[in-house]
Amino acid sequence: MARDRYLVIVDLPHEGRHTITARADETVLAAARRHGLRLPSRCECGWDLACAARVLEGELDHSRARRYFPEDAAAGFALICVAVPRSDLVIRTHQSAAMRHHREVHGLPAPASTTARAW
Amino acid sequence: MSATGIVSAGDVTRSVAVEAIESRGIDVDELVRKLVDNAAAEFTTYYYYTILRMYLAGHEDYKAVCEDARLEDRAHFELIAPRIYELGGTLPYDIRGFADRAGCPDAFLPGSEDGTRDAGARDNVVKEATPIAILEVLLEAERCAIRSWSEICDLTFAKDPRTYDMAARILNEEIEHEAWFIELLSAARGDAARPSGHFSRGTPGAAPYSRNTPFGSG
Repeated sequence: MARDRYLVIVDLPHEGRHTITARADETVLAAARRHGLRLPSRCECGWDLACAARVLEGELDHSRARRYFPEDAAAGFALICVAVPRSDLVIRTHQSAAMRHHREVHGLPAPASTTARAW
Repeated sequence: MSATGIVSAGDVTRSVAVEAIESRGIDVDELVRKLVDNAAAEFTTYYYYTILRMYLAGHEDYKAVCEDARLEDRAHFELIAPRIYELGGTLPYDIRGFADRAGCPDAFLPGSEDGTRDAGARDNVVKEATPIAILEVLLEAERCAIRSWSEICDLTFAKDPRTYDMAARILNEEIEHEAWFIELLSAARGDAARPSGHFSRGTPGAAPYSRNTPFGSG
């Protein structure tokens, strides 16, 4: 059943896990910022992979993304600058390089840069 | 000829300008990748803005501002390209791959179905390309550019003054573009006035911060 907010466990490599809440209409990145987490992002349009994350558990809605392929979803990647939760989540952040490699393997377009600063 | 540093005199295989910024902590290969991604975004934006402004007939103020932004994005591409080569990089040899790696989304004409709509038929009228819809596309394109160039400024600040200066010049204009489109979109929607604080350029696409020196200008 749809809820108006969800629990999101954000797994930051080398830093550990943080539990936050995200509203159903709020991107995971916006929720993380609201909780004081600084995560990488750049275009914030669901396009350039800077905000890429791995979905370890749960479901996200990527309908706002400007470039997100079925192969991305099948491989468990999320673009959290545009993705909104559809269930409680466990995600691992800082996956830009891995997602770019995935796109390359599948012959899908991606910017070449694999790093991004956290805001 | 006497040596002036650890780069041997006459050695053309190394660049002091590159090594100087590497020694200050810049990952030059990654910086070049980012500059090419950003150059591709400027180039594709220039292309798409060319289409967008064609659909602003009767809204000459919007069209003129769109034209300034269009030409200035082209000026940005022109400014970035030499820096990519100075740093030892190159533009991709295939423009298709270049466009695919753009750091910002395609600024598609509203109603063009993300560019897939048949553009050949003369009676294929794109009714969804209203001034408001076009201004929304323009605004979001500028916002992405601001985020991208802010990153380059952060990355190069106090380490790579030449790239920083270039990025800051471009960022200045992208910030003005966003303010223009906020102002125009607010007006078009009948919202509260949100003045940009700017006037249009003296000449179309003047690029007051970022204009590159044209060949043969003396």
